[in-house]
Amino acid sequence: MTTSEAKQRLLLYRGPIDDADPQFQEALAYARRDAELGEWLREQTECYDSIRAKLRGIEPPIELPEKIVRNRPIPFPRDSSRILQLAAAVLISVSITALLMKWSEHRQRPVLGAQEILVTGEVLDMTCYIASNLSGPEHAKCAKVCIRNGEPAGIKTRDGKVYLLTGNPGDSINAKLADYAAQIVTIKGKQTVRDGFAQLQVEEIRKL
Amino acid sequence: MSADPEFEDLVKLYYPDLYRFGLSLTGSEADACDLAQETFYIWANKGHQLRDPTKVKAWLFTTLHRQFLQARRHETRFKDEPIDETSPELPAITVDCVNRIDARGLLSFLEQLDETHRAPLVLYYLEDLSYNEIAETLAVPLGTVQSRIARAKIKLLQLLNETTPPK
Repeated sequence: MTTSEAKQRLLLYRGPIDDADPQFQEALAYARRDAELGEWLREQTECYDSIRAKLRGIEPPIELPEKIVRNRPIPFPRDSSRILQLAAAVLISVSITALLMKWSEHRQRPVLGAQEILVTGEVLDMTCYIASNLSGPEHAKCAKVCIRNGEPAGIKTRDGKVYLLTGNPGDSINAKLADYAAQIVTIKGKQTVRDGFAQLQVEEIRKL
Repeated sequence: MSADPEFEDLVKLYYPDLYRFGLSLTGSEADACDLAQETFYIWANKGHQLRDPTKVKAWLFTTLHRQFLQARRHETRFKDEPIDETSPELPAITVDCVNRIDARGLLSFLEQLDETHRAPLVLYYLEDLSYNEIAETLAVPLGTVQSRIARAKIKLLQLLNETTPPK
């Protein structure tokens, strides 16, 4: 190795951080033997240290770390609970899609043929029931008025199924149903279903 | 905002170095802040993909450098450049010459260097990264990195030598 080659190599030498790097070993050994090269190397490393100190002396704005933390996105959690949440979300999504498909399929179907059935349950004022979940004896007075005034009426069975009650096409049955508002009755009628919605065309009402 | 001590600790540990690297690359305090913020933003989104925790620092510097290149629309593929054995002679410069300039003056000299040479030189001076780590950070071959650092260092020292007034 010549002095020139050693200089070329030591041009990149930074000091202790590069001591373990084998590419500098031979050149460093050469510099230890050559006083002039050794002096040159000492000057170079001092310059390196001085430039490094100046660059590292630059102070970032005080508010920067706070700004970084404040503006960060919500991190993606890596724990298993998050995975379970994601799995649940996927499952729910798939279920909703399946339901929508079924619903869509259902919409294509013709109305099920009218079927005569007996239904026992409470006569509801559908408007108050759906909007405000109002039913039962405490709502009887209101339900009676509402049904009499033409609001839709329904019947809710013990198992929670609700039917919209109608008369024969063109005839309102509200006046008759108003007398049974919030009472438990058995209604004989023709059931039709569309889009999951059940309607009962009233033929006969019996008070239990 | 929910607290995330892990993220905050990481910011505290590395934001000064990233800011200085960004400032040395751009010469602009605002751009350096933006680059540091973008880097940590990307970390918050993608940092969990890093499997080797010892590479966090290199990952952050790589990301900041990429962001810088993207911003400058200078994303070009690097060619392998072997170490140039016929580099110009290193100018004779003493530590006194260096001591006469301040950090701002030093940054203005760095700005005069080509971007592809500035980044490795800044990492050379600023960070305790090995040459392999610098090469990895900048996604260029080791020989290319060393060649660029050598050329950039000579150029910087020449600028210092020419511009620094005698004592």
